[in-house]
Amino acid sequence: MDAFHYLLNGFATALQWQNIIFAFVGVLIGTVVGVLPGIGPISGVALLIPVTASLTGGLPPEEAATSAIILLAGVYYGAMYGGSTTSILLNTPGESSSVVTVLDGYPMAKQGRAGVALAIAAIGSFVAGIVSLVGLVFLAEPLSDVALKLSPADEFSLMILGLCALSGLAGKSVTKALIMTVFGLLLATIGIDNVSGVSRFTFEMPELYSGLEFLTIAVGVFALGEVFKTILERDSNEGEIAKISRILPTKQDLKESAGPIIRGSLVGFFKGIVPGSGATLASFLAYLLEKKISKNPEKFGKGAIAGVAAPESANNAASGGAMIPLLTLGIPGTGTTAVLMGALIMYNVQPGPLLFDEHPTIAWGLIASMFIGNLMLLILNMPLVKVFAKLIETPPKYLIPMIVAISIFGVYAVRVSVFDLVLLLICGVVGYFLAKNDFPMAPLVLGLVLGPMIENNLRRALTTSNGDFSVFIEKPVSLVFLIIAVLWITVPLIMKMRGKKVVVNVEG
Amino acid sequence: MSKTFDRYASLLFLVLGVAFVIGSQNISASAYGSNVGPNIFPLGLGSLLVLLSLRLFYETFTYKQGEKKEGPALDYKRFLIILAAALLYVLLLEEIGYVVSTFLFLLVGFQTMQKGKWLNTLLISGAFSFGIYFLYVNVLDGTLPGLPTWLGL
Repeated sequence: MDAFHYLLNGFATALQWQNIIFAFVGVLIGTVVGVLPGIGPISGVALLIPVTASLTGGLPPEEAATSAIILLAGVYYGAMYGGSTTSILLNTPGESSSVVTVLDGYPMAKQGRAGVALAIAAIGSFVAGIVSLVGLVFLAEPLSDVALKLSPADEFSLMILGLCALSGLAGKSVTKALIMTVFGLLLATIGIDNVSGVSRFTFEMPELYSGLEFLTIAVGVFALGEVFKTILERDSNEGEIAKISRILPTKQDLKESAGPIIRGSLVGFFKGIVPGSGATLASFLAYLLEKKISKNPEKFGKGAIAGVAAPESANNAASGGAMIPLLTLGIPGTGTTAVLMGALIMYNVQPGPLLFDEHPTIAWGLIASMFIGNLMLLILNMPLVKVFAKLIETPPKYLIPMIVAISIFGVYAVRVSVFDLVLLLICGVVGYFLAKNDFPMAPLVLGLVLGPMIENNLRRALTTSNGDFSVFIEKPVSLVFLIIAVLWITVPLIMKMRGKKVVVNVEG
Repeated sequence: MSKTFDRYASLLFLVLGVAFVIGSQNISASAYGSNVGPNIFPLGLGSLLVLLSLRLFYETFTYKQGEKKEGPALDYKRFLIILAAALLYVLLLEEIGYVVSTFLFLLVGFQTMQKGKWLNTLLISGAFSFGIYFLYVNVLDGTLPGLPTWLGL
């Protein structure tokens, strides 16, 4: 069967009534998450994993996993849409990948063109979503075919590459990112070793036998961490919210933004495929590109429509692109995809080369649902943009304690253990203080998710080579991965030493 | 970047790394005739963590002075009240049930964030705690600790 045929089957899955509802709920919540200050895509997805787990409780395992991942992915790309709303109306980005949108979005709003800016952002996001999905459809099969031929040693090196990619560009200090990665991998070793059955670092505590739960850690560091940040730093939106008048863009607007949307989508897509580069960087690059090729660059920063179209397209295309390494290779390139991967593993679905063979319903159902979800977002965002804009006024007074309560409910519903709840609070506090001091959290969670797989591949490779570590550099594929991994960490360091400014990825 | 924080953090990670290295000594070194046992991964990673934290400790000496740009003072009072309330909430959840504990936590939480508007506070806390309980337990057939038995309901 070719990709097209698989995609048709995917649509059959995605168009089942419950999956349409799940996609709708996902993109709706995603938009809300993007609009509301204080919760970004990562914390939104983390917060909803336990909720989806309870929603899909009655379905058979495969269907439950499909529906859950459809909803969670919807939150992810929905948040990318919603993030532009606060950038444009309030001069405050709803999440980090909309930082660049502020530059031209807010001036546009001040000129009374807020509605047009929002509409262009929605149209750009839609086109970008479709571009990256077409890429996903055509690249998924060949990539996973290649990935299937990898030996344990190759796979080990590939995962190391994934970890290095996320650590090399995350945050301000590579040392800190690496510390968080290694610490995450170490936390993953807690529990019963599934090869030998020996218990490790459990201190005879029954709660620790099954290991630290990914869900608890992710909700703790991301959702609670952000809540604590809002409380401690008194984050609030006290700016003036711009009025929305006209929504439909004129022909001239559309003509001016067509090019930036296409270019932004392509930049975002390719940036998204590369693990660790993320949506923030993609939107930044797309903006710079438009400014460079523009005939009147002096307009940028003063309300140029291209300055909204390009970065908004790029960040959506990047989130679609980031699904490719996640689904085909099992390597999440961003914090949010790391959380999505953890969710899949919770449902006993292993993302990676075998996903398309073993769970075609999930893989292609998800891809097809992303088409539908993007269409829903376009329809939702154009007429309802005024309604979403109202959400900005939600008082944090009610929002903050409720997010804490939802986190606690979610973790308890899945784990039914007070131990996990206490761990959740600890993770929230530790996560806040570490993140505040530039210790990135995404590598920690990625380490926790990839840890068991890396260890299995390491041990399988070492067992076949009788404990000889040279197996990793004797296999050409593995050697290439390791060399790229080393370069990924060292090249930015060397550039920094030479005094070059290195753009760091702040998105988790 | 806070020099003090990073210095303490690097020491903490150093201790953790050493603890994992020592702990992995007590794990059997082989499994089923293979010389690659469950200890090798934590042992290697623990050592790596030790090296990295030493590197971070060294880096803190290279931080430029006067880089401190403090934002507004952190609101520790509100944070500690909400954290304490959350801790009590999770510890009492199974004792006094979901509805009561959630209601109380939200009450404290809302009022800590901003005093006043008691009617709204009571209504939202009540609707949230009952709503979630009803949806999850009665509609989705989940399990949550119900009302405490001593209420006699």
